[in-house]
Amino acid sequence: MGSWGFVWLAYGIVCGALVLYWWLLKRRYRDAEAELNRLRSLEAAGSHDKR
Amino acid sequence: MVSSTNPAKQRKGILGALASIAVVIGLYWNLVVAPPDAYQGEVQRIMYLHLPSILTAYLSYFLVFIGSGMYLWKREKKDDLLAHAAAELGVLFTALTIVEGSIWGKPTWGVWWTWDARLTLTAILLLIYAGYLMLRSLIDDEQRAASAAAILGIVGFLDIPLIHMSVYWWRTLHQPPSILRPDKKPWENVHPSMLTALAISFAGFLLLYFYLLSLRYRVGEMRQEIKALRLERGL
Repeated sequence: MGSWGFVWLAYGIVCGALVLYWWLLKRRYRDAEAELNRLRSLEAAGSHDKR
Repeated sequence: MVSSTNPAKQRKGILGALASIAVVIGLYWNLVVAPPDAYQGEVQRIMYLHLPSILTAYLSYFLVFIGSGMYLWKREKKDDLLAHAAAELGVLFTALTIVEGSIWGKPTWGVWWTWDARLTLTAILLLIYAGYLMLRSLIDDEQRAASAAAILGIVGFLDIPLIHMSVYWWRTLHQPPSILRPDKKPWENVHPSMLTALAISFAGFLLLYFYLLSLRYRVGEMRQEIKALRLERGL
């Protein structure tokens, strides 16, 4: 492998790993947000029923 | 409901956009504008990733250290959430540092890996904080897990001064620092064009780091709220 081959390999792995982590984190964020909204709406409905 | 016009979410969006712009400028500068090194040639461009990666990892472990210390002192969940989020990102950036160093090492030293003091201590740093994350998942009692992890988070931080001093204390293959050295200013040791590339790259890494940290911290916060709501509702 030539000099540029090593450079592209390093930059490719770093960019790929950071994009993958960001994508997985976004998914965790969206899942947690959806679950929180679901529980909050259940709670709101529960307190509404009590009234 | 968390609306899309939530100010915290907007701030994250702005930080994310700034991070993306800085990373793109950094990549262009590192790969196109910066000149090749007189001795190492093009391979030296890997240093524009390697140095910002490890400095970002150190910053992350410093936040673990602060968050852990504050948690043990005040027992406030927000400090533990910060330490947990920073540890996860620290592991990511340390792993990237080792991979980049390995790819740079093959054409420069002739090996992918060697049991050099600095390399070995950095690998130990990675294992300590990977252990920190595992420890948290192995202990069911949340408060005990947070306390045990906080102790490990503080003790693990002691490895960083060892890593920094290793090139002075032992005969190592890894060269002494080019930037953080007591006898020379950075611009006396590194050509300004390379220093600029390094600074732009580091700015990109920092913006990206704080963007990811804000996302990861919020995930931890939301999980806490979910747990509390489930407990309240007996789910």
